[in-house]
Amino acid sequence: MPETDENRPLPLREVEQLVELLRESGVGEIRVRRGETEISVSARPEVPATPAGNQAAVPEVSEPEASPEMDGLHAVRSPVVGTFYRAPAPGEDTYVEVGDTVSAGQTLCIVEAMKLMNEIVADVSGEVVEVLAENAGGVEYDQPLFYLRPDEQ
Amino acid sequence: MIGKVLVANRGEIALRIIRACRELGVRSVAVYSTADRDSLHHELADESVCIGPPPAASSYLNVPAIISAAELTGADAIHPGYGFLAENARFAEICERVGLRFVGPASDTIARMGDKAEAREAAAEAGVPVTPGSDGPCESVDEVKRVGAEIGYPLVVKASAGGGGKGMRVVETEAKVEAAYLGASREAGANFGDGSVYVEKYLERLRHVEIQVLADSYGETVTFPERDCSVQRRYQKLIEESPAPDLPEDAREGLMAASEDLIGSLGYEGAGTVEFVYADGEFYFIEMNTRLQVEHPVTEMISGVDIVAEQLKVVSGERLEIPEEALYPDGHAIEFRINAEDPGRNFLPQAGLVEVYNPPGGPGVRVDSHLYAGYRVPPHYDSLLAKLIVHARDREASIRRGLRALDEFAISGMETTLPLHLAVLEDEEFRRGGVATRFLADRELESEGGLLRLVQHLS
Repeated sequence: MPETDENRPLPLREVEQLVELLRESGVGEIRVRRGETEISVSARPEVPATPAGNQAAVPEVSEPEASPEMDGLHAVRSPVVGTFYRAPAPGEDTYVEVGDTVSAGQTLCIVEAMKLMNEIVADVSGEVVEVLAENAGGVEYDQPLFYLRPDEQ
Repeated sequence: MIGKVLVANRGEIALRIIRACRELGVRSVAVYSTADRDSLHHELADESVCIGPPPAASSYLNVPAIISAAELTGADAIHPGYGFLAENARFAEICERVGLRFVGPASDTIARMGDKAEAREAAAEAGVPVTPGSDGPCESVDEVKRVGAEIGYPLVVKASAGGGGKGMRVVETEAKVEAAYLGASREAGANFGDGSVYVEKYLERLRHVEIQVLADSYGETVTFPERDCSVQRRYQKLIEESPAPDLPEDAREGLMAASEDLIGSLGYEGAGTVEFVYADGEFYFIEMNTRLQVEHPVTEMISGVDIVAEQLKVVSGERLEIPEEALYPDGHAIEFRINAEDPGRNFLPQAGLVEVYNPPGGPGVRVDSHLYAGYRVPPHYDSLLAKLIVHARDREASIRRGLRALDEFAISGMETTLPLHLAVLEDEEFRRGGVATRFLADRELESEGGLLRLVQHLS
């Protein structure tokens, strides 16, 4: 790189003009080049791209079976791949039944993965409306396990 | 034959494995992250399990989730593909412990070949030529000079713990040893916390050639004619072909025999690749990849062997049955890696919606890809979109076929390396064949009337 190029001030005025032009024209991107300098200005898409690091936003985009959630129901999802158990041990009472009222932090079930028992807790307080997985059956990551109707605040 | 295989990968290689399973009548299980809900491997497998959120560390590298998915679906074996867990000895060991067959060699073989110094030692023990240099790290300037006197200059001082060119110095003459040794050692210490360096002969115009191998549990080994993967950018292969242009027959035989000696000495099982550098009629071992490679289709095209199917047979405890004629190249094949990278903007990674997808067809054309129109390329994984493999009776005919197929290939919605491949095929030196690994580094990309062109530096 020639030293003169490094020392030259950034052509902010030109960038400003390009942004203006981009706005007025409605095109997606403008690129100009003069000598060693290339400026590229692009418009942000209307729908913001999935923010990096925010994983929770991803699955919701293409969730076809999300209708119960539209009725104000809250899905508790499995955080791991494993086997779903409704009771702490065989023969014992289930943690919860449909109709029970649960508080945030209360254990709803266990998902066992590689001999590790993961207690799945309610992340909101409310009423258990539906149990979506079968006892002792396999569940995937992010699979809805329960529908809760959150308490009105 | 095993009954069900879990494919612990995504993208084109997951599809490749699922296709092999389908043809063998083996059931397949796909695993996928929430970013891959709309992916073809999830659609085409017999069963599929969502294993985690988009970051690979939480999904495709998530060992407990993958093992659980295998247990839940009753899979007998796990095929790791390439990348992700393919060369993770610990993962292979866990599979062995829980009674799942890992499609690949034994975990201790993976561990041994995964260590640079140990692999070099294993090769030397098997009588495979390794680059002349020091035995292990050099402790002093004098020791470097002693090795230099033995192997000659130029030589290269390299960090033992190194990679990516850090802690590396090329030394032209003995007078420059001291500065290079101290500089490399300091840089290695700063970057890797380990200042130890070793010395190798510096090979200036080298080619990358490699041998595909297969071995079964009965001690039967097969080595295929070489692939030449010298067209690379920053150590990433872009074009691979087989056979290597203008390779003398005795070099080919030497490479195949050396690879056979190495896998024989390791008691290797499954598919693998032994990589060499080739310069001035000599070849030296670099490393062994203990897995299926991206460029395996090149060998499949010229041999007629389905390498993935053979892997599945081996893991099922069956014998390899490779016909003799498969070991002699039938024509010439070239593979082009179509990546989601913009060659016009320093290979900036691309992601987003694939608007148009029209892969080429016609005689001698194979495309391995997970793309479809409307597919959204997620930003979380590697940039490989498709592999185009062309096969014809000789190299010249495959180059013509490659030009035709690349020209037909339409992907819109993002920039790809398609124009770069066209530029390489138009390059005179590439057309002559036998280019060195610095082929692309020696050239600039220039845009001319919407097409890219390679222009060689004057130096």
